[in-house]
Amino acid sequence: MHRKTFLLGTALCALAAQAQAQDEMTCKGEVPTLNVIGQGMPAVTALDDKLSEFNDKWDTEVRITMLGENERRAKARLDASTGAGAYQVLYIDEANLAEYVSAGWVYPLDEIVPESYDLGDFRTDLSNVATVDGVQYFAPFVGGGDVMMYRTDLLEQAGIEPPTTLDEMVAAIKTLDEADNGAHGWSARGQRGSGMNVWRWTPFFRAKGGEWLDEGDMPAFNGEAGVAATELYTELMDYAPPGIATFNWSDSVEAFRGGQVAILIESDVFGPWMEDPEKSSIVGKVGYAPPPDPLPSAGWAHGWAVSKVGASDDCAKIVAGDFVGWATSKEMEQRRLEAGIASDIGRTSTLQSDSFKELVPQDYIDALLETGPKTDLLIMASPVWPEIGDTLGLTLEEIFSGTRDDVQAALDEAAFFAEDSLMRLK
Amino acid sequence: MTRKRFVTLTLVPAIGLLATLALVSIAGAVWFAVMNRTLRSPDYDFVGAYNFLRLLRDRRFFNALEISAIWEAVTVAGTLALAVFLAVLIFETVKKPLYRNLICFAFLVPVLLPRVAAAFIWRFLYSPSLGVLNYLCGLVGIGPVEFLADPSLALISVAAVDIWQWGLFFSVILLKLLETLPRDPIEAAMLDNARTWEIHAFVTLPMLRGPLISLALVKAVESLRSFDLIFVMTGGGPGTATETLDLYAYQMGINMGGRISYASAMSLLLLVVTTVAFTIIWKAGKKWAS
Repeated sequence: MHRKTFLLGTALCALAAQAQAQDEMTCKGEVPTLNVIGQGMPAVTALDDKLSEFNDKWDTEVRITMLGENERRAKARLDASTGAGAYQVLYIDEANLAEYVSAGWVYPLDEIVPESYDLGDFRTDLSNVATVDGVQYFAPFVGGGDVMMYRTDLLEQAGIEPPTTLDEMVAAIKTLDEADNGAHGWSARGQRGSGMNVWRWTPFFRAKGGEWLDEGDMPAFNGEAGVAATELYTELMDYAPPGIATFNWSDSVEAFRGGQVAILIESDVFGPWMEDPEKSSIVGKVGYAPPPDPLPSAGWAHGWAVSKVGASDDCAKIVAGDFVGWATSKEMEQRRLEAGIASDIGRTSTLQSDSFKELVPQDYIDALLETGPKTDLLIMASPVWPEIGDTLGLTLEEIFSGTRDDVQAALDEAAFFAEDSLMRLK
Repeated sequence: MTRKRFVTLTLVPAIGLLATLALVSIAGAVWFAVMNRTLRSPDYDFVGAYNFLRLLRDRRFFNALEISAIWEAVTVAGTLALAVFLAVLIFETVKKPLYRNLICFAFLVPVLLPRVAAAFIWRFLYSPSLGVLNYLCGLVGIGPVEFLADPSLALISVAAVDIWQWGLFFSVILLKLLETLPRDPIEAAMLDNARTWEIHAFVTLPMLRGPLISLALVKAVESLRSFDLIFVMTGGGPGTATETLDLYAYQMGINMGGRISYASAMSLLLLVVTTVAFTIIWKAGKKWAS
């Protein structure tokens, strides 16, 4: 490194440190409470016993309101859109990002998070999901793609190799369901919601060649691909635990780690959940692989963003920005690993760390690496996606629960609704 | 100051405050209902009766209306039937005051549980793979029963939780009312060799007509506010099998794209329907009680 560059770098770091110290001097005690909308992911709940450090730093009190996924989205939307601004930090995800950015509810990340938190270290796949038109809006702490989890003991018993194609997987599910092994062949999400059943249905839809919109930007998910995907998804539900028509991700994952299911495709973040000896009855009996071809992997990311409505004054903006940086910092991720939490990883440096490799099986890491190239944002990237996705989710739940049996007519109705949403957007 | 003038003057502030609170929110709902306001955008226009006319073509709205009516009928009738049955049963079979009080105390517990807590508890009890109810069903060779995932069972399964919470509470009230009734008519009926059920069907319960109507109305109003219970247990599903009007208004107004104008129109129609229905029921009840 040249001497000049070194000196310039040192000077910039010193300036940044000085600026941050000044912020602390000016804003300490100026924000009595920092309200945060949260969702019960391990990365969020793990903050509980560390909040006092942040509270002491800014002489504030961080209050995290924990909500379920759908409620969290509704609450954040209501808070920002009505101008109430009760929350300074919002929990945000891939499904809402386009809506929040187009409505101007959140700050670009680099405007509010201090550079010292090394924004460049966030995982590229997650940062891509958090970015609109080249600007990153939230700091991801969890996300990724899909992974196929299967019971190695049951597959071995039945003499089946881990499936590598969709057809093989369907055949394996049927065989494993029929076998006298105390487990169902498959599980999936049935409960309505753009982030629920639609999320898991979408890879099937894409695998069948489906596109959300046609050339005229009108809904096309009611075409042949949509019908074929829905029929296959519904058929697979016959090999799943009872009640699957209203299963959310938690029901599905718990059924698998409770030993009731042989094959499951879920978000890769749930892999380490299967290796938790306190909560899982199948530790050491799970194999991991990418979703079988041609199923793509549904890319997603959850993270923290700062609300323009809730943090409109300078100090609220500074404290909220620092919270986002602190809560998603490298140090915080290492502390989570020390506590045995390996599911929520937002940073490249953490993925490469030895402490991560110690906590998860090697074939899980291999599956993650293999799935990476198949991972993409599969949902419709549109501000009206939440309402289109939720309506489609309702339609799918009606089909899964047997309330409706004409798949084409049901999808046509959802597409008709989506057309209205898209027209209003224009 | 005359008595009438005194009564009027003391009532005016309270009524004024209540009227202001009610009218402001209703006026707000009317204003939203004639606009095309959504939460996503700050821009909106006047659309007149469009939202109301669209509701008349909305299949889901009519489904929600039907589910709300069924929900009201099932929970009110179920609660009263259970309350009457249990009150009479305890009145006739448990004579010791200590045991009666212990039973009353136990019966009060469900209603003291927060609705959301009760909903979560029952959601687990109903679980097809992990729930106790399905375990019991399995012992007698039934099931697994998809209590909350089967469209034909879901509404009645959620209603059962509501009836469990309120039916036991109402049975305590009815038991205490039975204890306060004068003994003479009951003893006269006994002298006429009336059987136990006849005594209650033709003597005690008709004497409790007034309180029973009041309880029915209280329950009917309470049943309109079952959003939390249904939301936690089924979220309105499977499909729209348990989607009541308040749930649909929430889905439209807050959850799905934030069409608050449309949701406001729905709320106003709900207000009109319930006001008319309750007026008719109230008048019919008064006529029956007199």
